[in-house]
Amino acid sequence: MTRTALATHTALVYGGEDQFVSSVGAYLAEGVARDERVLAVVPRVKLERLRDELGADAQRVDFVDARDGYRPQWNVFRAVLNSLAEAPDRRLRVVAEQDLAVRSAAEIRDYQRLEAMVNVVFRDHPLTLLCPYDAHGLSSELFDISRQTHSDVMDATGCRPNEQFADPAAILLGLSAVTAAPANAVSLRADGPADVSTARRFVRDHAARAGLDADKIDDLVLAVTEVLTNALTHGRPPRSLHLYDGGATWVCHVHDSGAGPGDPFTGFAPPAVPSDHGYGLWLARQLCDAVDVGSDATGTHVLLHARIAR
Amino acid sequence: MAIPPELATANLADVAPGTHLCAFYDSDEQLARIASAFVARGLAAGDRLLYVATDDDAATSMLSSLLGEHPSCHALSNGQLQIQAFGDVYGDVHTGDFAPIEAGFRAAAEQTRKSGFPGLRVAAEMGDFARFLGSCEEVLRWEQRSTAIQRELGVSSVCQYDLRYLEGDDAARVAAEHAALSPDRDDPPMATFLAVGEPWGLKVAGEVDIANRDALIRAIRSRAGVSPRVHLDLTELTFTDVGTLSRLHSLAAALPHDGHLVLRRPPDLLRRILAITGLWHQRMVVEP
Repeated sequence: MTRTALATHTALVYGGEDQFVSSVGAYLAEGVARDERVLAVVPRVKLERLRDELGADAQRVDFVDARDGYRPQWNVFRAVLNSLAEAPDRRLRVVAEQDLAVRSAAEIRDYQRLEAMVNVVFRDHPLTLLCPYDAHGLSSELFDISRQTHSDVMDATGCRPNEQFADPAAILLGLSAVTAAPANAVSLRADGPADVSTARRFVRDHAARAGLDADKIDDLVLAVTEVLTNALTHGRPPRSLHLYDGGATWVCHVHDSGAGPGDPFTGFAPPAVPSDHGYGLWLARQLCDAVDVGSDATGTHVLLHARIAR
Repeated sequence: MAIPPELATANLADVAPGTHLCAFYDSDEQLARIASAFVARGLAAGDRLLYVATDDDAATSMLSSLLGEHPSCHALSNGQLQIQAFGDVYGDVHTGDFAPIEAGFRAAAEQTRKSGFPGLRVAAEMGDFARFLGSCEEVLRWEQRSTAIQRELGVSSVCQYDLRYLEGDDAARVAAEHAALSPDRDDPPMATFLAVGEPWGLKVAGEVDIANRDALIRAIRSRAGVSPRVHLDLTELTFTDVGTLSRLHSLAAALPHDGHLVLRRPPDLLRRILAITGLWHQRMVVEP
């Protein structure tokens, strides 16, 4: 079997559910016909209609409810990486769509990073990825994201190269602005290894008071441990942890006075081979609703966001 | 009898291997507190504890009662904690020749490694040591020699002096030969790594992260040095980070082919980290 390794990343802007079903259905059926592995991560309401459209082919498609596949958003990277690892010599065709209307501003920022990083993380993998966007109610912000991050665009007339594709590193840089923790944050200095366990108790106490549920608190506590450990290992003193209500999300903000990871692409995938280092930021992204990493004159900031149910 | 005020009190959490501590007591209760803090901290780190007692029956009952409900209550039966009579250890000292005790020290350190413990810590009741050696000068000479041997072998100790046996400025002179005072109280450690004989390995309780993962890895390596089939009982592990798990993965990967590292009853958190990182290894067995 010849292996065409280069990944493709295509945006489809569709008008209405009928077009979604016919375009996405045909796309998935093409994968089945080519004996590719086929995965569809789409909102639950669309799963059934896609199954009907595909008929017998549906049995050869792996369907995942987007609520699970995108919980949190970076989980979709893990699902695709795991699928690719299961059969490295077969092309994997994926349709991935989530309900972006429910996402907070921090999550939309991370969504933009996610779409940009597809082009970096999967570049050399045999992946054919289609991202459908519902034209109905599509904000200009989301439309711009779709135009900047896909190598190709598809519409009713067909598929063509995207002229507006932007450099992923430039997109990440554009999203790296950070603001200092607000004055009403509760803060903890953490410059020694023993401070990490103190930070865990600190997060646990305040997250419970902020009304986060127990599972989410466990995830946050682990994510804060990892980011603080990175700050202790790679960053410089003084190092602090700030906790605050950021509106739609509750924020654990780790600051250190170092320059931060030199590589802007750090932590979007796990190390390729097992290693003693390099899992912290990847793990944090798999545990939090959104993660911002940025630097300013005072050092490096990592913001771990947990959505607050209001 | 005044204890020299200039000598600092050590934090047992930060005592490096090879540190020579001392302590002074004037009651059995105070001795029990000093001994218990030092012994519990050493056992928690997975080290072997040798307790040298003026009266080994009394010491056995004291340590048994202090271990009582403690997680390390099996330490006496599985050999992690050993109690020896003062006379058996220091029996030949009165000849003025330290060579036999030195040899005994080295043999104990060697036996510690062979028994699968990462280090040896000694708590000694110095009760009538001065009378035994003949003079305070001889005691000081031995303490100086001991400092050098312990540093070389990486053996930490606390020499527990009964103030009721010391005269004049003896306490001050004795104290000056030690790095610091050993405290009579200690905060509970973040985690304990207690030796288990059957199945061979360790029982890990508490939280493990950047602050103590090197100590855990050191303890596991010592167990693996005796038998490469190591079981970690993780029933009471309450937290672990990915750095710890990746170190366990490396350790399992470096075991011989007939070896394995069993992670028994790990918390859900550990399984979650495994799933997210993919740090599985054929010789790192998660059960059940």
